[in-house]
Amino acid sequence: MRSVGFSSGAIAYGDFMGALATLRDGKFPCLELSALRISELAPLIDALPHMDLSAYSYISFHAPSSFSSDEEAWVADKLFSGVPAQWPIVIHPDTIFDFTRWTRFGRRLAIENMDRRKPIGRTACELSVVYEKLPDASLCFDVGHARQCDPSMTEAFLILSRFRDKLVEIHISEVNSASQHDAISHGAKIAFQQIARMIPEWIPVIIESRVTPAQIVTEACRAIEALAPARFA
Amino acid sequence: MTALEALESRTGSKWEHLRMARQTSASERAEITKALDTFSTADASIVVVGSLAREECTPGSDVDWTLLLDGMSKPQDEQLARDIRQVIEELGKKQPGREGVFGTFVSSHDLIHRIGGETDTNMNTTRRILLLLESISIGRPDAHNRVLNNILYRYLEEDRGLWFGSNSSKVPRFLFNDVARYWRTMAVDFAYKQRTRPDGGFLLRNTKLRLSRKLLFLAGMLICFDCHTRFEDPRERVEFYKGKPVEAVIDRLRLVLAQPPLEILASSLVPYTAFDKSIKKLFTAYDEFLGMLADETPLSSGLTKREHLDTLHVDKIEGDPVATQAREISHRFRDAITELFLTRDTELGKLTIEYGVF
Repeated sequence: MRSVGFSSGAIAYGDFMGALATLRDGKFPCLELSALRISELAPLIDALPHMDLSAYSYISFHAPSSFSSDEEAWVADKLFSGVPAQWPIVIHPDTIFDFTRWTRFGRRLAIENMDRRKPIGRTACELSVVYEKLPDASLCFDVGHARQCDPSMTEAFLILSRFRDKLVEIHISEVNSASQHDAISHGAKIAFQQIARMIPEWIPVIIESRVTPAQIVTEACRAIEALAPARFA
Repeated sequence: MTALEALESRTGSKWEHLRMARQTSASERAEITKALDTFSTADASIVVVGSLAREECTPGSDVDWTLLLDGMSKPQDEQLARDIRQVIEELGKKQPGREGVFGTFVSSHDLIHRIGGETDTNMNTTRRILLLLESISIGRPDAHNRVLNNILYRYLEEDRGLWFGSNSSKVPRFLFNDVARYWRTMAVDFAYKQRTRPDGGFLLRNTKLRLSRKLLFLAGMLICFDCHTRFEDPRERVEFYKGKPVEAVIDRLRLVLAQPPLEILASSLVPYTAFDKSIKKLFTAYDEFLGMLADETPLSSGLTKREHLDTLHVDKIEGDPVATQAREISHRFRDAITELFLTRDTELGKLTIEYGVF
């Protein structure tokens, strides 16, 4: 059985405490604390020592998805010193201005493959360019993004083939044509199952689907089902 | 060095017209890309097929373009296609032929979902197979890449024989049969056009059928054979296909398809040094064919050879020196193909005999 959990941003955008409260009853082993907006970064990091996260066996931290070059040094310092060293820090590669600021993170930094709006990090080739600059960084594989870029899942296959050793976390959701995260559809499930065999069972799965509290358990079941390898037909 | 250049050097040949056509194609492509800079998006690729995509551009070649849509339909799509047409016209390029297969916008839906059956029209098959075998994108390739992968996915995933068949040969029959069907469709359409267009064009169409269309079929066949021939060890081949790695095969086919048909053909023939005489004959004939189309020296009639081929009435072919030259080139091309592909002395020959007809 795969270990799943939710992104706090998916459950309650900008309200990590609310998200934690909502998720408490689900008893999920995994959690991603999300500071997608830069304004959320400091409050979330400051709150970490006061949160009861003992129920989670895996926690990651999502870095802001946008900041200016002037803010980059502050963001990197804040993440480096404020986030526990054992937590992967998920980052969008297109947010990075100066890669030298991020080399010190080593494997702690998990590069996420991007949706098709982004200019870099969408394909295995584009990720190679990022890893040339951050050779020790790991991979947060967003299977929804990969499907949006190539519904045949060939690009997903290539990313997982090439960077399997770097894989530390999976993001899963339906990514619609406007690049918004929706609940996993039947079509997405079929596509994800195509490459599920390439994702080791022990890799934590973070659900990014925007769902209501009432849909949380159902969505978690869907995610597990979507990552069950397809049977040959 | 490309495979074609390697063969040119190895056989002591000089294929100047092939080289010139590659250069012309590259500069044409650059010019069109610059002019259509802002027309493509993540959901819409401008795709070009035909001689420009095959890197066989000569003066008089048309630009067979399509606005390939793979996303939300928008009311502005029609206008966008009209604007592309206008830009290409302003560049002084020849527009696509009169059938309406190209020079318009096309949704990915039919290309991916309508393979075979009543709804797979002649037009849809033509667009799909040319997209696979000889297409390049002008500007953003996102939609083009997605559609190519999705079409290949259909052909491969549904090919039970490829994954589970007892035959030790691993050739994707679904894809191969559609490529072969298209080749026969072109031949039948040639006869159809002879009837519906008695005013001319017969000889140019005939020469193209015997050379560039045949080359396209050969390239399609070789792409399918690559699924088999890329493995030297039969055990490794069987093991690989056992796991049904559809995406890995798509990736490999995309690498092969990224080359123009002449290069696909050349790459397949590189290992066969014993057949250098036939290889030389094949590419020399094709070089002369492109040289003929590119020759702008006026004949006594004031027409170029290409124009002459395009306008000569079918009743006047017999004894016409240009027609005779075209036919002689096509016969050498045909003979070389027979020597290379209808023999049991090569792996390619064995596969051609096994899959090519029955």
